Amino acid sequence: MSTEGLWVDGNAIAGLLRELFGAELTATERGCQTCGAVNCLGAHRVYRGAGTVVRCPVCGDIALRITSLPDRHVVQLTGSWSLDMPRT
Amino acid sequence: MWRTVTVREIVPETAHARTILLDVPGWPGHVAGQHVDVRLTAEDGYQAERSYSIASAPETAALSLTVELFDDGEVSPYLVEELQVGDEFEVRGPVGGYFIWRVQDGGPLFLLAGGSGLVPLMAMLRHHAAQKSTVPARLLVSSRRLDDVLYRDELADLDGHDAVDVSLTLTREQPPGWTGFGRRVDAEMLTAVGPGPSEQPQIFVCGPTAFVEFVADRLVELGHAPDAIRAERFGPTGE
Repeated sequence: MSTEGLWVDGNAIAGLLRELFGAELTATERGCQTCGAVNCLGAHRVYRGAGTVVRCPVCGDIALRITSLPDRHVVQLTGSWSLDMPRT
Repeated sequence: MWRTVTVREIVPETAHARTILLDVPGWPGHVAGQHVDVRLTAEDGYQAERSYSIASAPETAALSLTVELFDDGEVSPYLVEELQVGDEFEVRGPVGGYFIWRVQDGGPLFLLAGGSGLVPLMAMLRHHAAQKSTVPARLLVSSRRLDDVLYRDELADLDGHDAVDVSLTLTREQPPGWTGFGRRVDAEMLTAVGPGPSEQPQIFVCGPTAFVEFVADRLVELGHAPDAIRAERFGPTGE
């Protein structure tokens, strides 16, 4: 098996993103600090291992790292984020 | 966030997949294409989580998930082989605002499924049918063999509908007299089945990552706009 198939789409962590940010985020756009591409989080690539790593679908640069511990999540954001979130 | 749900009914779909109908107290409703996170908790407290696409239309009262068995999975063996009517587990959702379609989003629709990637696309077609939508929809399903195709009878019914066309390709084994496609999806098949780039279809591709990658690349080569193609890859397993 190649490693090509080991990632999934940002859609897959919609539930986790909602838990972290309190809103639906997969349709939210993010600009990459390295290549400039702007893509919805749902179209980013998600790699799951000991933690969750979200990468730019164009250049592969890291956008978000999430380490989920028993009592909390540790979140590291990189690049430019433009979040369009519903008012509640 | 997490809700306890109760299994109302279980419907076998194929030798390796079944549909689980759930009673979900306080379910807020969903949009076709969304999924839920399922959480199972073992007696020792160990928890395993996985996402499953919602199979039912938003118009249907019971929430249904269709789960295919992946042997190396932590969650699917329990859901496919152990779970019984009346059992409880936890779900979170609905989630996802990207891989979704509502009738008012229009079309034409071009839906491409690899194996159980059909599930969220089926929710879209069920929504389409429930709303009596006239948006043209073409569905191409790639499976290894006919027995692996989910919702076969329902797909045949949908295919009879004016606005909907269903095509199957069986990549491993074709029954005697098979008149559908019998190979992996390629550019020629996409051209034969789908609306062309000039019709500006909304395209949804769901399946194993390698399937989605291959199909999305061919669609772009055929001239479809990359941002008209929405993809949901579910990892290395499957086809």
